[in-house]
Amino acid sequence: MVLEATMICIDNSEWMRNGDYSPSRFQAQADAVNLICGAKTQSNPENTVGVLTMAGKGVRVLVTPTSDLGKILACMHGLEIGGEMNLAAGIQVAQLALKHRQNKKQQQRIIVFAGSPIKHDKKSLEMIGRKLKKNSVALDIVNFGEDDEGKMEKLEALLAAVNNNDTSHIVHVSAGPNALSDVLMSTPIFTGDGEGGSGFAAAAAAAAAAGGVSGFEFGVDPNLDPELALALRVSMEEERARQEAAAKKAAEEASKQEKGGEEQSSSQEATMTEHASGGTSEADNKKNDLSDDDNALLQQALAMSMDEPASSHDLQDMEMPDVAADDPELALALQLSVQDSTKDSSSQTDMSKLLADQSFVSSILASLPGVDPNDPSVKEVLASMQSQSEKQDEDKATEEEEK
Amino acid sequence: MACTHDHSCEDHDCSSSWSLFKHIDLSKVTALNEATPGSVKSVFKAWEERLSSSGEHLESNEGDPELLVYIPFTSDVKIKSISVVGGADGTSPSKMRVFINRDGIDFSDAQGMQPVQEWDLVENLQGVLEYQTRYSKFQSVASITLHFPESFGGDTTQIHYIGFKGEATQLKRDVVATIVYEITPNPSDHKTRAETGGGLSHVE
Repeated sequence: MVLEATMICIDNSEWMRNGDYSPSRFQAQADAVNLICGAKTQSNPENTVGVLTMAGKGVRVLVTPTSDLGKILACMHGLEIGGEMNLAAGIQVAQLALKHRQNKKQQQRIIVFAGSPIKHDKKSLEMIGRKLKKNSVALDIVNFGEDDEGKMEKLEALLAAVNNNDTSHIVHVSAGPNALSDVLMSTPIFTGDGEGGSGFAAAAAAAAAAGGVSGFEFGVDPNLDPELALALRVSMEEERARQEAAAKKAAEEASKQEKGGEEQSSSQEATMTEHASGGTSEADNKKNDLSDDDNALLQQALAMSMDEPASSHDLQDMEMPDVAADDPELALALQLSVQDSTKDSSSQTDMSKLLADQSFVSSILASLPGVDPNDPSVKEVLASMQSQSEKQDEDKATEEEEK
Repeated sequence: MACTHDHSCEDHDCSSSWSLFKHIDLSKVTALNEATPGSVKSVFKAWEERLSSSGEHLESNEGDPELLVYIPFTSDVKIKSISVVGGADGTSPSKMRVFINRDGIDFSDAQGMQPVQEWDLVENLQGVLEYQTRYSKFQSVASITLHFPESFGGDTTQIHYIGFKGEATQLKRDVVATIVYEITPNPSDHKTRAETGGGLSHVE
């Protein structure tokens, strides 16, 4: 969380056209710059970042240090590649830009992307480094791209001259399958000397590559924000449910064409039911309110309404008895088509048959001690089941029209 | 410019008059070109301890004797004189230039600007010399920046003690830190007495 003003020096020389970093050296560099800007502004909202280019017609400051990320991203558009990089001038201009920062309390830092050969000699680079150290400016060097003789030594010498108590770093990135920004994400350039940016790095890593660095599931810490984490998890399951139901539908379309519409609506109902249960937290409360001993049936209803549709099969079974209650012919057809159902699902089918009967359920509820049918949570569950059966009636109606 | 009172320092306790070090905001003291970051804070201590260097002192980087020390105070002070104890073997600073109430000066600024006052220092290893200021210019000092451009021939500059003599006022020359400007008034911020149940005043 250190308060910092950063100037990023971009190499937009001819050497950046090369494609050994995908998609091109320049593009990889631009991505890295965007990530760094995000990390810096996220680690401390008062941090400012500026950008300048070192090649082209000459050193040009694109953005003076600002905390406005949009401005920085916008200026990265339409950059042209050409010319030769002037490292010394670039660093000196960066130092000047930092000197005139608005908030004098910010620490000064320069990040240099050195992709092309360096034409300055070691001595002059060391002098520049000492001047930076004297004015307590930290320097991070990203060595990538061209690797001619002496480039690495020159950069190491520059780093040694600048380095004051390990605040400056150098990173060598060689061409390969890894993207430049991914490699940078694990370096102290991103993590800011071990503090702050590691949170951003973790989230970005989780987003960028599957199974990222540390990341929590969904990038949200369950300790910090349990409701959000829970909501995310449930919506993920919902999505999975929907997808599985759709897959089921596609798989069984051949054998059950007339039921195709029903299954679609069943998956819709699954989501509807979950929505109708009034959100996950409420449903959780319901589960907590009811004790197992007394309200096993009610709990089962809840479980089924919120169930993961690895038991989409079960949902199907639940729908069918609903219809079966009304139309015996249809019920027979359904039974014939579902002859390969397992014992578990069949037993559950029996259960669900009973549950499907609305009046039966309410009579049970009334008889249960401790459950007040007028309790709002109970009413909601009933409503959800009712909506289910209503939907079923609608479908049945459309089906019969089709017939 | 020795001690201005007419008796030797051993009898009289000078330390009470060198008490401005208590008004220095130590956490915000910074120095440029120091070899060890943070070592500048060890330089401000009580006058009795000015010679007891417990190993910690301010030293500039190797080969570069220039030093810049920024000292903010917790309240406005009036500085009558300054005392500096340097190091041995030519590592004492030879000149001192001061700037008042300016933040964020760096070396190029310091070399270009006209200081409020500057002195030629002598090697003062015992800390008995003090350098008087033009008091009228040092009346309300919120922060002072000391620039030591060169040493007495040593490779580095060492400073063991910096002391200020003067008085502290209770005033603070604070920059207004947070201001909220209203473009349109927010009614909830401006409850009238009627709304807050005013009218009859309470006698407590």
